[in-house]
Amino acid sequence: MILLGELSLWVALLMAAWGATVSFAGGALRRRDLVASGERAIYVTFGAVVLASAGLWTALLTNDFSLEYVASHTSANMPKVYTFTAFWGGQQGSMLFWALILSMYSAVAVYANRRRSRELMPWATGTMATVLLFFLLTTCIKANPYARLDFLPLDGKGMNPQLQNPGMAFHPPNLYLGYVATTIPFAFAIAALVTRRLDAEWLGVVRRWSLVSWFFLTVGIVMGMWWAYVELGWGGYWAWDPVENASFLPWLTGTAFLHSIMVQEKRGMLRKWNVVLVVMTFLLAIFGTFITRSGVIESVHSFAQSPVGSWFATFFFIATGATLYLVATRLRDLKATAELESMVSREAAFLYNNLVLVGIAFSVLWGTLFPIISEWVRGSKITVGPPFFNTVNVPLGLLLLGLTGVGPLIAWRKASVANLRRQFTMPVLVGVVTGMLLVALGMRDFYAVVAYILAAFVAGTIVQEFAKGIGARRAMHGESIPRAFVRLIGRNRRRYGGYIVHVGVVLLFAAFAGLAFKTEHDVSLQAGQEYTVTDPYGHHWRFVSQGISRYESLNRDVLAVSLDTWRDGEYKGLIKSEKRQYKDSQGNPTFEPSTEVGIRTTPKLDTYVVLAGVRGDVAEIRVTFNPLVVWVWIGGYIMAIGGLIVMWPQAERRRAQAGYVSVLEPQHEGAAS
Amino acid sequence: MISRRQFLAAVGAGAGAAALGTRVLMAQQPGARQGEHTQAAMAMDSSNLFAMDQAAARAVVLPPKPNARPSMTPDERDALEHRIRCQCGCTLDVFTCRTTDFSCQVSPAMHRDVMALVAGGYGAQEIIDAFVKVYGERVLMAPTREGFNLVGYVAPFLAMGAGAVLIGALIRRWGARAAAVAPSAPAGVQATPDELARLDDAVRRDE
Repeated sequence: MILLGELSLWVALLMAAWGATVSFAGGALRRRDLVASGERAIYVTFGAVVLASAGLWTALLTNDFSLEYVASHTSANMPKVYTFTAFWGGQQGSMLFWALILSMYSAVAVYANRRRSRELMPWATGTMATVLLFFLLTTCIKANPYARLDFLPLDGKGMNPQLQNPGMAFHPPNLYLGYVATTIPFAFAIAALVTRRLDAEWLGVVRRWSLVSWFFLTVGIVMGMWWAYVELGWGGYWAWDPVENASFLPWLTGTAFLHSIMVQEKRGMLRKWNVVLVVMTFLLAIFGTFITRSGVIESVHSFAQSPVGSWFATFFFIATGATLYLVATRLRDLKATAELESMVSREAAFLYNNLVLVGIAFSVLWGTLFPIISEWVRGSKITVGPPFFNTVNVPLGLLLLGLTGVGPLIAWRKASVANLRRQFTMPVLVGVVTGMLLVALGMRDFYAVVAYILAAFVAGTIVQEFAKGIGARRAMHGESIPRAFVRLIGRNRRRYGGYIVHVGVVLLFAAFAGLAFKTEHDVSLQAGQEYTVTDPYGHHWRFVSQGISRYESLNRDVLAVSLDTWRDGEYKGLIKSEKRQYKDSQGNPTFEPSTEVGIRTTPKLDTYVVLAGVRGDVAEIRVTFNPLVVWVWIGGYIMAIGGLIVMWPQAERRRAQAGYVSVLEPQHEGAAS
Repeated sequence: MISRRQFLAAVGAGAGAAALGTRVLMAQQPGARQGEHTQAAMAMDSSNLFAMDQAAARAVVLPPKPNARPSMTPDERDALEHRIRCQCGCTLDVFTCRTTDFSCQVSPAMHRDVMALVAGGYGAQEIIDAFVKVYGERVLMAPTREGFNLVGYVAPFLAMGAGAVLIGALIRRWGARAAAVAPSAPAGVQATPDELARLDDAVRRDE
């Protein structure tokens, strides 16, 4: 199976090369047989990559340490689930995993469009096959998981302890599913540019795949935050590390596209911009991969010293050059069919939203690259850490949060004063009252107060929209409130699914603002000693150490400290934090010790305990009070649920491209007055 | 025209040849003979989240000021340590690293230097300056807001501002063009206010 897998990798490479060649040739020569051959090549490539992946999984699960990849990432005593996940735990395996997902997506896209988009398909297939070719070539030549060692080790090195977490099973696959899905919209955008068929046809395909990408990126990013929070022990969930930034960049431009595409659907506008966003999202996914795998930027993550960086750089520049040429030569075909009429209209609001999203993407990219730029210009190294990113991005994020509420309230084409008054009065009132209450209650952190005012405003807009819709359904159909709620979403999943995503955004921002009140305490405790402290809400906590325990468990030695906890005199249970020293099957220590955090979660507060070290019988402990953290996870999953509702196929309906809403608006106002 | 069977045979043979050829070529590269795929290669493998440099700590020492008293409280000292980056490669600040990772020997050493400087009567900025003098500017968690670094802080806002100006100009231009092509008088709608309200409501639900 392992040999078959290795051979299949090369078969996949050749088939991808064939698929790219004949698809482009078929498109250029208008030869149906070549186009069909290219599409079949995609299916065969998928099959071959599946076999190659099965071969690697077989090698991992049977502990074939003659393969360098298996020996470097697994050991005989590792739990099987982590041996399975080691497939994407290292450079070579993750490249093959990328190719596996891309070949699967490509096969699905080709199959789904076997009777549709026929003009586009040769070029879309050719582009998908070209991207596949790049990944397979890089895998075969520069990061081959089937490379063999000169010797046969008794045991493997094992997996980094911080990767031995349930998050390993979910976070990387979701991120890869999101990253790779950006290829399909890119392929269709290239096809539309080449064939100059920049109408609604490509938009439908692109929107669906962009949603797939957005959904998985959202889930992947939130899972990554959770993983960092529970595993790394530094007390937060986002550190603006280059690898985190790399996943955030395509998410930002993808989100911008999912908003601006509505303007094109409704009004036939922003066609150039939408093509640019689709292309930018794909290129940022590639660029992010380049900066995190090339070693040009220091990162806490793994791939910083790998040899594939130059390949990614080359591919990135070729893809950027080719796309720029195509866009530049098709500008005339991308002319809008309607014009934007007012700065106070929904189209304009989406433009502002796009400006802020792309602005944040720029600032994140800029901050990530600034150490290199600074070194070029001044010759000295600098660090661009969280304080820089927070300084720049917090105001932009708040602006975005405000626009999240503004967009849905403004009419298309041109909003009237009466329309604005009717739509904004209640949500603005909710925001202002919230702000006054918080200040009266003693909240003084400027950004936190602004964040809660805006969050309340956006929540007000969402509640108002649902209340109006439910009210209308009840009036028209006499439905109960729950039934009207469900049917309202069911009848217009795109709109109300989008609002549910906005609910998640509100919760996320509310949770982010809670970090302004985080407190940390550095404590040394012997067995029986206690530590008392006040949390950000003014509750009094008492922690009593039960002492340090040492024991062996599975493939590790454990050093643990347990704390009995009381809040305002009421017992709240035991919190335990561990240091783990992992071992191979020979009992030799592997890697540095890792942290297991003790967390007590409530809706208001996480009590986060880390065993930092041990001096004799004294445990060095850090106790952190993290307000509202649980709402990050809840908000993230609500966003994902909203995304699923929007993606649901029945939500697709044919839409007229006319901007009829605001044509009626002035006359309605006039008639009503 | 070749048959499918011939084509598949050719692909299989090509794949085998490519796999074999690459292996032979790689084996002939200079590094390969000296054990490219060896334990050293395994040790350098990418699954290490980062390579910890335990020897990265440098002494940051200044003589105590005359009649020195501690210049700050422990909380203020912790806040200061949040601004100084641990040099072990973890990318964390000194406070977070030393209270998270007991295998790191760099952040405790840097912490000791901070404590000595605090005890020696040095203020926050003086301590920061002392660390920058020894380690360079990379010891700070964020670049100072001076000189070329200002470009880093300002560029995102400048870019946003430029984008906003561009959008404003575009909207003005589009608005003027739309007004030029708009019909001089709107067509009348023969409907009651109630009918219009219902239609408007229906249209809104479809947004």
